[in-house]
Amino acid sequence: MDAPILRFVGLLRQRGVRISPAETLDALRGLDAVSLARRESVKTALRATLIKEGRDEPVFDELFEAFFSVDDRRRAGGHDHDHDHDHDEDEPAPPTQVKVSEEPPDFDDPSHSHELPADVAKYFDDDQLATAKRLHKDGTRIDLAGLSQELILGERKEDIEEAVAQLRHILHLRRLTNPGAPGKLALDGGEVVDADLTVGSVDHLPSLPPGSMLDEAQVEALRRQVDGVIANLPELLRRYLEKLMALERPAHSKEASPAYKAAFSEEERRRMDALLRRLGRELKGALSARRMTAARGRIHASRTIRANMRYGGLPFRPVLVAKRQDRPRLILLVDVSLSVRNTARFTIHLVHSLQSLFSQVRTFAFVSDLVDVTPYLERCELDEALGMIFGGEVLDIDANSNYGHALATFHREHLSAVNRRTTVLVLGDGRGNGNPPHVWVLDDIRRRARQLVWLTPEPERYWHLGRSDLPAYAELCDRVELVRDLDQLEAVAGIVLRPL
Amino acid sequence: MEPLERFESVEDVVDRFRAFEYVMTEQAATVVYLATRLQKPVLVEGPAGVGKTELAKTLASCSDRRLVRLQCYEGQDDTKALYEWDYGKQLLYTQLLRERIDTLLSGTTELAQAAERLRGQEDVFFSEHFLVERPLLEAIRSPEPTVLLIDEIDRADEQLEALMLEVLAEFQVTIPELGTLSARTQPWVIITSNTTRDVSEALKRRCLHLSLGYPSAERELDILRIKVPDVGEQLLRKVVEVVRAVRQLDLRKAPSISEALDWARALTLLNVPSLDREVIEETISLIIKYDKDVERVQHELPRLLGIIDTAAPPTAHAHEQGDHHHGHTHPTSEEEAYHRHAQGYFGAIRSDSK
Repeated sequence: MDAPILRFVGLLRQRGVRISPAETLDALRGLDAVSLARRESVKTALRATLIKEGRDEPVFDELFEAFFSVDDRRRAGGHDHDHDHDHDEDEPAPPTQVKVSEEPPDFDDPSHSHELPADVAKYFDDDQLATAKRLHKDGTRIDLAGLSQELILGERKEDIEEAVAQLRHILHLRRLTNPGAPGKLALDGGEVVDADLTVGSVDHLPSLPPGSMLDEAQVEALRRQVDGVIANLPELLRRYLEKLMALERPAHSKEASPAYKAAFSEEERRRMDALLRRLGRELKGALSARRMTAARGRIHASRTIRANMRYGGLPFRPVLVAKRQDRPRLILLVDVSLSVRNTARFTIHLVHSLQSLFSQVRTFAFVSDLVDVTPYLERCELDEALGMIFGGEVLDIDANSNYGHALATFHREHLSAVNRRTTVLVLGDGRGNGNPPHVWVLDDIRRRARQLVWLTPEPERYWHLGRSDLPAYAELCDRVELVRDLDQLEAVAGIVLRPL
Repeated sequence: MEPLERFESVEDVVDRFRAFEYVMTEQAATVVYLATRLQKPVLVEGPAGVGKTELAKTLASCSDRRLVRLQCYEGQDDTKALYEWDYGKQLLYTQLLRERIDTLLSGTTELAQAAERLRGQEDVFFSEHFLVERPLLEAIRSPEPTVLLIDEIDRADEQLEALMLEVLAEFQVTIPELGTLSARTQPWVIITSNTTRDVSEALKRRCLHLSLGYPSAERELDILRIKVPDVGEQLLRKVVEVVRAVRQLDLRKAPSISEALDWARALTLLNVPSLDREVIEETISLIIKYDKDVERVQHELPRLLGIIDTAAPPTAHAHEQGDHHHGHTHPTSEEEAYHRHAQGYFGAIRSDSK
């Protein structure tokens, strides 16, 4: 039981879901407690123990369906994907299916009790199984129909092991290129399955707790299902493995794909969350006009008395309170052209989260044209907004960067947004492709703003290479910060969000 | 009755909750069952009024456990959540015992000696006797098993969350003066959050996660049937239909199950036989809490009535049918206007034509 779950967790992690070892243990303990015969229970148990963020739920659902199902042919029969959590006819993973299996037909929806037996009957034909699936005409006589019963009904571990050994025997034969009797099990097309993987998966079988929590009815239901599956085992295994391989593949190919992806790595997401949490906390404190306990400030009479009861009412340790400073307003001008895209991605993520917390953050994106993207960031999900901004829906991102034009547009239309409480952040490399830089705009902004910070992904020694207007801009800024990764962004966030 | 030790199965959870008029989804029941088996807290997230708090209350009553509730609020600290020394009582005892202290100290000549002797008696004043138990400590020190409800944890500051970690994971509280107090009985813990902010990672990791959403039509009807039994089936169906339709509108606060319940109850009190335009207009404030939203719903009323009318005989409602068409075109044109405005506002066109 453990191994498939660990593997499932591994896949989830690969897709960027954060799961700690403690949670994995919870999941295993949780599966012990629920009835494994019920697909829905298993899913809920895994979800409750492993998935703690709403954003991870779609990934979980998708992976669960893919991972714990062998036979999607049956799913195709009448159930669409939107309702798959209700009555899926999927089989779980091959090693676990024998125990985990699908829900019994009497669960939840009475209509299935009629459908299922008929469905299974297609796969289950005693005569046919007994003859066609026999591996050798004499000798070993492995009968798959009988095998499945052994798997289920065998209360003792050795029975299961015996059955597994037989199964493995079949699989070994399958791997042989003998075109004789084993060919019955193999597919006609002769597609090569990763047989090592297959045998490895089957190895998990003996670790199942034999027959531990199945009552008679469940055993009966399971056996009927398993019989059907066993009949099609080779076919099912092959498809399952293909699906597994497909599952593990895209995680890598995704990174290689050149198109823009808003997905963040697990590490990035974790650090970003931590950074946001810290910022949120600091800014939230600043939000309230409430007086807070502080190192210096006025004496708060009642709290002092209360705190000093232990000293017999003598004001031995005064409690001081002070008003927190008002929070700053933030204006961001972000260059979203290709050259700074990676930094912009982080910055916009940061801003998006700030935006949802605070009303006084405005974001302008530019390449040549300047567009107020605040409403997108406020209204849309992050991925969607990033997709819109970088996908060229909002502005033409394939144009050549024109800082002068963007700044002039800002000056003309949005300068009123800048006041002495505003911190203006400009993100870009200052490469205006020889267009007039309009440096005076920055001068105006600086005079109005509390502080003007320029974030650039290029270190200073590269500024004079090519045509960069950054040196001219830099003179006017309160500070220029090099931001290439999260570390540096964190440092800047500290500067920017310092109370007035 | 003896407090329930454990649930037998997921079905057992469903049945027991149902006996206390709480209709559960299979999923919620499984999580509750797991939580009681694994001794883990459950973090319940979801919009207001879908029965998060009710879940904890029902868990307490159906298992005959006492409910200990910690209502979170901003600025709450450990003295309100965990424990506090009863300084008043300590002071009083010091005064009353002054003579005894004098005798204790008699014979000492030096200050240091006296202090030494007093130190030997410190335990008297820092004992559980002087401890004021706040909900968290109360829940784990209670001699009979409890259900601990930590309500709206997203309102509390993050420091408080950190304080809870020890209680939630180990079921113990460390008090510097006394040492570690461990649980007499393990409480079942339900934590609710309206997700106005994210609960910290550390806390989430220690909990089972359950997100409750708006119920399916079937379940909502079921809930109303159980909770407001003296209303006709027809009326209840209409209530559910209207509430569900209203939920589809883009409102600031969509009506929850609790609002649907209030509405159904109000309709019984008013002795209304069926829903019509007048009734809805008069009572809409029961399910809609903001003026803007009320306006919006008034706008959509003809369409909502259309939903009801499909169940009613058509002849009597010819007028509303007409309204229905009118109402249907209206929001569409409004939507178009909104898009036009939005486009201009974002500057997509303007900046192109510079």
